Amino acid sequence: MWGILNIVNLAHGALVIAGGYLTWLLYSRWHVDPFLSLPVDAVALFVIGYALQRGVINRIIRAPLLFTFLLTFGLNLILVSVLLLLFTPDYRSVTTSYSGSRLELGSIAVPYIRVASLAVAILLAAILWLILNRSRTGAAIQAVGADRDAAQLVGIDLRHAYALTFAIGAAFAGVAGGLISTFQAITPTAGDPYTLQAFAVVILGGLGRVSATVAGGLLFGLIEILGQSTPGLGSGYANAIAFAVLVVVLAFRPQGLLGRLA
Amino acid sequence: MRGTTLAGVLGLAAVLATACGTANGTNAAPSAGAPIVFGAAVSLTGAQSKEGALTKQGYDLWLDWINQRGGIVAGNVKHPVQIKYEDDQSKADLSATLVQKLITDEKAQFILGPYGSAATATDAVIAEKNGIPMVEANGAAQAIFNKGYKFTFGVLSPANKYLTGVLDMAATLSPKPTRIAMLTANDNFSVEVARAVEDYAASKGMQVVFSKQYPAAAPDVSGLVSQAKQANPDIVLNSGHLAEAIAINKAAKQLDLNAKIFAYSVGPSTPDFISALGPDANFVYDGSQWTPQVKYHPAFYLSVSDYVKAYQQKYGGSEPPDYHVAESTAACLAFQKAVENAGSLDPAKIRDALASLDVMTFFGEIKFDSRGINVYKPMVVEQIQNGVHYTVYPADVANGKPKYPTPAWSSR
Repeated sequence: MWGILNIVNLAHGALVIAGGYLTWLLYSRWHVDPFLSLPVDAVALFVIGYALQRGVINRIIRAPLLFTFLLTFGLNLILVSVLLLLFTPDYRSVTTSYSGSRLELGSIAVPYIRVASLAVAILLAAILWLILNRSRTGAAIQAVGADRDAAQLVGIDLRHAYALTFAIGAAFAGVAGGLISTFQAITPTAGDPYTLQAFAVVILGGLGRVSATVAGGLLFGLIEILGQSTPGLGSGYANAIAFAVLVVVLAFRPQGLLGRLA
Repeated sequence: MRGTTLAGVLGLAAVLATACGTANGTNAAPSAGAPIVFGAAVSLTGAQSKEGALTKQGYDLWLDWINQRGGIVAGNVKHPVQIKYEDDQSKADLSATLVQKLITDEKAQFILGPYGSAATATDAVIAEKNGIPMVEANGAAQAIFNKGYKFTFGVLSPANKYLTGVLDMAATLSPKPTRIAMLTANDNFSVEVARAVEDYAASKGMQVVFSKQYPAAAPDVSGLVSQAKQANPDIVLNSGHLAEAIAINKAAKQLDLNAKIFAYSVGPSTPDFISALGPDANFVYDGSQWTPQVKYHPAFYLSVSDYVKAYQQKYGGSEPPDYHVAESTAACLAFQKAVENAGSLDPAKIRDALASLDVMTFFGEIKFDSRGINVYKPMVVEQIQNGVHYTVYPADVANGKPKYPTPAWSSR
């Protein structure tokens, strides 16, 4: 989204939480398995994302970066407030009958939910890569990212391409939220750390390539967990370490580890 | 002749009635006075909006009750009560600004505390500066009270007592658990709770074998839980908040961390904990300021069971109020009694009345030490058994016995 639209979406975390609530709602009302509700999250958030971009963000797409910050910051506040109204600030979490079962690999226990979440994440990254690199829509999106005026000249509907990009981003955020609701407690205001993480992951990996973002995500996750485990360091330092690495990357390799130069 | 006698008798009766009345000090109904304005900056949005809402419920419950009675009587004048609210958006520094606004713009005469130790600490500065008494119910960090403030009073037991009650209880159980793993959020309050456990454990013949801090509201704690598992603890303690308590309990199940006691400082007492975790919430302990089962004999206001009924009537549902609500109501009761005792609305006089207050309420004894902190009320220990909260310690106020040890996840 950032690479293509040049928009830093500060409402990303709120979209994640919205997906989480949808999964929780489907599970608590109709006992829909959280993994089965992921496609519903994706579709619902796709629609919301499309509408937000088409109706709101497109209006300032050519404005300076600061305006997109302000706008998405405002959207974040609105989304959080709507979630508060709809779902109250109560903490929710999806606890399934299999949520405690795990895969034993010697002395290492890996919960099945985490394994499944990893599989979903890999699948989504593959789908995104396919969309971007093997479809006409993806080509159009990439073209818009490369040069929007030229893209418009060859007949690409800019507003539609922007809205699609944002919608795909929102759909992925929604699926992430659905997964998160199975191992975390969610509340409408819990989204901000995810916005921050998404931001850091994109910078670490680099803009414009799916593989770069995946690498950035892996690296960021590993740094955080290893930071927690380092003897003598509380995990209070985990964030500090992760963001210190971020600063170093920005200083020495501003395009990110695998990113393209702008 | 008869008429005159009757009139004389009636007149005498009237004089007697008046005389008796004067002797009791209630010769006339109190006159109606100007409203007393309380100000409160609570978190209605943001990360602590849940706890902020509970705080407000506690204040409003008392507000209804006192105004049904026409208000607080101070020196034979009955003052109806208003509470002006501001939303601090769960930001401690904003809280202080709002309290100043409540005092200058909204003319608040007294301050009811915000939610959380961080906000309370910043509000205490404002109360002190303005010479306005503040009674708070949701900031248990002793750091607030170690600065020599004269105008801040806390009705709740201080942070250092939150989990030590669990250790007291654990010491009575057999086989006795000895190895403690401690996961602590890195805020003031949580760290204070954890330090107290570390200092206290040895006196009960226990050792802290694992202790780590994490950033408050950490999105993922599973890494810490898997490290704690390596230490093979008997007791897993979390000093943190509701969201982390839920996440830790989930991770413990997923990673098969089996301890004899799981106890979390904040979280298990709320209905959210049980609804989010279902049967996995069973066997979890928490230290609580108050439970709906405690047996206290209040000197005024409602009994414990009437309080629970009043809460359910006002807010609907069958859930009893949790301790955040009760302690918030208790803050109002402290003010009410102090105003009555002072017989005046003068802030300095009410401050002195608060300092010398000693009264039993449905929440327990309210009495402040020289720092303004209520060290006289004990903490109780609760356990969730079959989806219901039972008070299990201390035995004299308990309505259940601890189910111990907690069965392994695989055999539940």
